[in-house]
Amino acid sequence: MSDLAIPTLQTEAQRERSAIGSMRLLQTACILVIALVIVSPLFMLLIASLKDDRFQILADMGSFRAFWVSNPTLSNFAEVSNLSGELAFGRYLLNSLFILGCTVGAGLIVNSMAGFVLAWGTLRGRALVLSLVIALYVIPQESIIMPLVIMVSRAGMTDTFAVQIVPWVASPLYIFLFYQFFAQLPKELLEAAEMDGASVFRTYRSIFLPLSLPALATVSILMGIETWNQYLWPILVTQTDYARPITVGIATFFGQDSIYWDRAMAASVLMMIPILALYLAFQRWFVSSFIGSAVKG
Amino acid sequence: MASVSMDQVRKQYGAVPVIHDISMNIEDGEFVTLVGPSGCGKSTLLRMLAGLEDISGGEIRIGGRLVNDVAPKERDIAMVFQSYALYPHMTVAENMGFALKLKGQDRATIEKSVREAADILALGPLLDRLPKQLSGGQRQRVAMGRATVRQPQVYLFDEPLSNLDAKLRVTMRAEIKDLHQRLKTTTVYVTHDQIEAMTMADRIVVMRGGKVEQIGKPLELYDRPANTFVANFIGSPAMNLFEGAIVDGRFVTDGGAALPMPEGYQGATAAVYGIRPEHLTIADNGVPATVVVVEPTGSETHVLAKLGPADVNLVLRDRVEFQPGQTVMVAPDPKRIHLFTSQGLRAN
Repeated sequence: MSDLAIPTLQTEAQRERSAIGSMRLLQTACILVIALVIVSPLFMLLIASLKDDRFQILADMGSFRAFWVSNPTLSNFAEVSNLSGELAFGRYLLNSLFILGCTVGAGLIVNSMAGFVLAWGTLRGRALVLSLVIALYVIPQESIIMPLVIMVSRAGMTDTFAVQIVPWVASPLYIFLFYQFFAQLPKELLEAAEMDGASVFRTYRSIFLPLSLPALATVSILMGIETWNQYLWPILVTQTDYARPITVGIATFFGQDSIYWDRAMAASVLMMIPILALYLAFQRWFVSSFIGSAVKG
Repeated sequence: MASVSMDQVRKQYGAVPVIHDISMNIEDGEFVTLVGPSGCGKSTLLRMLAGLEDISGGEIRIGGRLVNDVAPKERDIAMVFQSYALYPHMTVAENMGFALKLKGQDRATIEKSVREAADILALGPLLDRLPKQLSGGQRQRVAMGRATVRQPQVYLFDEPLSNLDAKLRVTMRAEIKDLHQRLKTTTVYVTHDQIEAMTMADRIVVMRGGKVEQIGKPLELYDRPANTFVANFIGSPAMNLFEGAIVDGRFVTDGGAALPMPEGYQGATAAVYGIRPEHLTIADNGVPATVVVVEPTGSETHVLAKLGPADVNLVLRDRVEFQPGQTVMVAPDPKRIHLFTSQGLRAN
């Protein structure tokens, strides 16, 4: 009996292995297709930025030539990044970096402090404030943008850096993210710090903030992307190149008479670099934060 | 070092009282253990002493100073938490020196104090490690070191050994007791483990339902429990308690077993008869009991038997060869019998 049974078992095991192999092949193919869909526009952008003939770029679009460059050149990059050149692109880039740094820097401080107080503060009505924060999160930015424009213009803040930073520093989403992170840390840490003689602010600064690297990374990346990609707001509140960010700046390549595809492509590539650097810098904690929240539900 | 006194201390959440008018005095340098089952209010009382919980009424004094409204950091006390509560991003030395840093002491003084505390607790080689690089016992010692380095007037321990395995718990128990003997600092120690309480404390406070059931030295509680709760809680295996009544100079259990009365007892109110497992012997003049389980531990033999419908535990020093189902004659030591009233209060 056993002599007969062994070959049967082996055949079943082989069949199972083969099924698993086919499944893996299918999965790999699916992942490749998805990756191709995501990566191909980026690749096309990069290739186009290395071409110096804007008419050729336009002609190549829609064919495989969009993914190939025979004489690559960095002239587009040199042109758009020349701070003293006729284009104000360099200025836009610096403006964007300044706005990004200030918004994210101030945002980390303000939102983490608010999250800490909501998680562990002894304020009356803490639960009500938390409910309000969550309620505010569902209100789309666009729906409050017109009243905001009126407010900032009455305050004489238009065409400044402050107008692009201050309104977006505090955010219900990031307050809630910090609240959630702090609330899951053990209460004994707070009590131990209290017994050691730490004030509330010292407890936040010396104990809770250093422990919130994953939350800081997550908020930095999400807030960075959001700030970097702001388009509607800067259009409404900036009138000159003085404080105009890169998103609005790129639009200047698309003139009424002609479209500078070569410069626009190079500018788009340059625009990606800072935010990509931000992501890479915080990626480790960002990923661990998402894994952590997934595991803890 | 300082004495601690509580006078009519009360705590309630809304209308629900959780600590009922507790009063006690803890002498300077004394080691007092608060013990009781989960939810009895022992940790709440400790946290009230620490200042981590507000008190609803009464007075708490540390070193004679009223501290009802004094912040925890101003009370000159140190607390060791059940979860250790070490700061995960700080090294052992930083954890231990954090309180001194907050006090504004200079680096050299902090290092000296940390080094001294580390020497007492054998933490010297671990000072540069992070808490995650330490074992449970080492973390516990660091938590104690963090408390020691401040040289507080009172130590508070909130179930500090609960997260350790049984063997390490025994070792750490001895270390804490040794530390207290060396430093002579007033200590209040919360535990649900009565063995811990018995072995470490100068005095034990037994709590139940937010009230103090009895305060006394460990052996006082063991030898003369004030009520059936304390009798049952202190001692392992627990005291055998039989309900019944006094009939013709003997205590007849509800199951019909006639047990001898303690020498010289004249009262007639006893409704519960208590005898510790080690105060029962096998003797011809005893009452018959049926063996259920025999557990030899090496140094002694634990026997679970049936006395009528009731369970009876025996701890025998001799090695016995009883078989389940066998009938043995069980006799209580007349000098070690405890009698309680129907309300559970001590009657003899």
